[in-house]
Amino acid sequence: MNRTIVWVVAKTTFREFWRKPEAVFWTYGFPVLMTVVLGFAFQPKAPAPVPVVVVAGADTSALQAALQASPRLHVEVLAAAAADAALARGRVALLARGTPQAPVLRADPTRPDAETARMLVERALRDHTDGPGSIVPQIEVEDRPGSRYIDFLIPGLIGLNLLGAGLWGVGFNLVQMRTQNLLRRLLVTPMGRGDFLLGFLLSRMVLVLPESFAIVLLGMLWGVPFRGSIAAASVLMLVGAMAFSGLGILVASRPKTIEGVAGLMNLCLLPMWLLGGSFFSNERMPGWLGWIADALPLTQFNNGLRDVMLEPLGFAAVTGPLGYLAAFTLVCFGIALKMFRWT
Amino acid sequence: MTGNGMPAIELRALRKVYLPGKKQVVAVDGIDLSVRRGEVFGLLGPNGAGKTTTVEICEGLTEPSSGEVRILGRQWRNGQDLELRQRIGVCLQETKFFEKQTVREILELFRACFPRGRTVEQAIALVSLQEKADERQSKLSGGQRQRLAVATALLGEPELLFLDEPTTGLDPQSRRQLWDVVREFQARGGTVLLTTHYMEEAAQLCDRVGVVDHGKLIALGTPAELIRSLGADHIVEVDATGVGAVLTAADLSALAGVQHCDLTADRVALTVASLHGVLPDLMALFAARAVMMAGMATRQATLEDVFVHLTGRHLREDQKS
Repeated sequence: MNRTIVWVVAKTTFREFWRKPEAVFWTYGFPVLMTVVLGFAFQPKAPAPVPVVVVAGADTSALQAALQASPRLHVEVLAAAAADAALARGRVALLARGTPQAPVLRADPTRPDAETARMLVERALRDHTDGPGSIVPQIEVEDRPGSRYIDFLIPGLIGLNLLGAGLWGVGFNLVQMRTQNLLRRLLVTPMGRGDFLLGFLLSRMVLVLPESFAIVLLGMLWGVPFRGSIAAASVLMLVGAMAFSGLGILVASRPKTIEGVAGLMNLCLLPMWLLGGSFFSNERMPGWLGWIADALPLTQFNNGLRDVMLEPLGFAAVTGPLGYLAAFTLVCFGIALKMFRWT
Repeated sequence: MTGNGMPAIELRALRKVYLPGKKQVVAVDGIDLSVRRGEVFGLLGPNGAGKTTTVEICEGLTEPSSGEVRILGRQWRNGQDLELRQRIGVCLQETKFFEKQTVREILELFRACFPRGRTVEQAIALVSLQEKADERQSKLSGGQRQRLAVATALLGEPELLFLDEPTTGLDPQSRRQLWDVVREFQARGGTVLLTTHYMEEAAQLCDRVGVVDHGKLIALGTPAELIRSLGADHIVEVDATGVGAVLTAADLSALAGVQHCDLTADRVALTVASLHGVLPDLMALFAARAVMMAGMATRQATLEDVFVHLTGRHLREDQKS
């Protein structure tokens, strides 16, 4: 081993890194910032109540009262169809019906919070009847296509995929063109600046439907249904991809280095992964987290896509998300055009 | 066409000051310049002299700190930028086009940027890239890439062409091919502003040359005029170990016909009006002081000598002797 070489390579490499302030910030500053933010967000406190549903029936009031006695449970009463929908969309962890003495519990054990909910419900029922071991609930595993965790997950993955492709595909290319002087070169032609960015956005649209429906087809191997309008889903995918690419253009509108744009992309991606509703439902986020979750374009996309995939719905069901995503695109595009760095 | 009687480029008291950190850098320090229509004008100067900044101000890419800029009779940021951009062609110092696109595809992109202009095939023919038209950019040589860059600048049928160091790093043959392209553009009535630090390029290609140093225009004229301004046509260079310790610049300048003298430890360079007048006296002086000549060469004066005469430095670092 030539120790001089090892030492000099280490020194040179580190110096090269240390002299790029953007790289240093996004490598060390950003995680510190995240730790501070998340540390404040997840201060030690009593765990949030687990949401369960009592399916409305002839004699459910006793069951409802028994469960409501537990401070750890948040109990709703819903008609059968609404209860199924709530479980399918991850809004609740478990459905209960019957009486406190002969309860029937329904959940998908692959869901992150299903086991917790079952144990909390069983404890509440034991407390209610005051006898250890006297209650043996009948357990039903939710395995109907359209109501399982996998059915919830697949639309969320399509959303994440379009988000990642939009940010990385658009953002990286733009910053690379900037570092290579190509944007400057185009700027000295009579080309319209908006036209250029619009073309960039359009280039992302080519693969949106193939890449999304590839995931839909994969999901079908596990029985994930497609119950709604394919046309509505396609339009939603295109408009969603447009919004994510618009965000990509916005993120790439200033940075002069790949490190800089990568850091900004992570800044956008992290809250979307955590709060965008791809892996678990974000419909019961408390306080300001809920506001953020609702405002994320990924949340809007996921909600819309689940509506038209898991339920027999059409365009009417996705007008809200479509409008939001289209507006989001316009805002991103408008801001990007104003602040875009061409040189 | 508008403003035909006006110069193609007119710069008045042009200044550009950068502020990186706290220390201010004056890149362009009061340049006045007028480039006539139909001429090839060269800005000659070493790296960092302010050539690129001046050109980028003319191209509308950089805003001057003060001073006046008129391009084809128009001003930038005056609501006429799009019209101006149609009328100029630009070849930046270093542009990496898309690696995976062919010559034709890159030209199609740039052609679409211009409302009017020549066809892609015509542009390919102008720079003699017909055989490479369907090659990807990554397969082109340095000279071919540079010709492609010039072709993108010619697509809009510009009246005025900006070439920022178009031949830097190219081999002599590629350089000559590019000169041909520039000459042909001029023959069709075009005006060219180019920058270079090759004095040979400036002498061969330019009708007039402006010598730039430290952000200032220090000389202006045709290459012949600039060389004549030395007051002498010939350069005599003598290598002699230790000459600087024995002779002084005054000794050498005192010889009849010597206009300028450059003396270093082991080397003498004299700018002289006539060789036959100086050489006998020079030999006699060396003999009288017992300095051994290791070698002697004489040559015609060039723009390089003009630059050395004006600044005491060479144009390119690698030419220091």
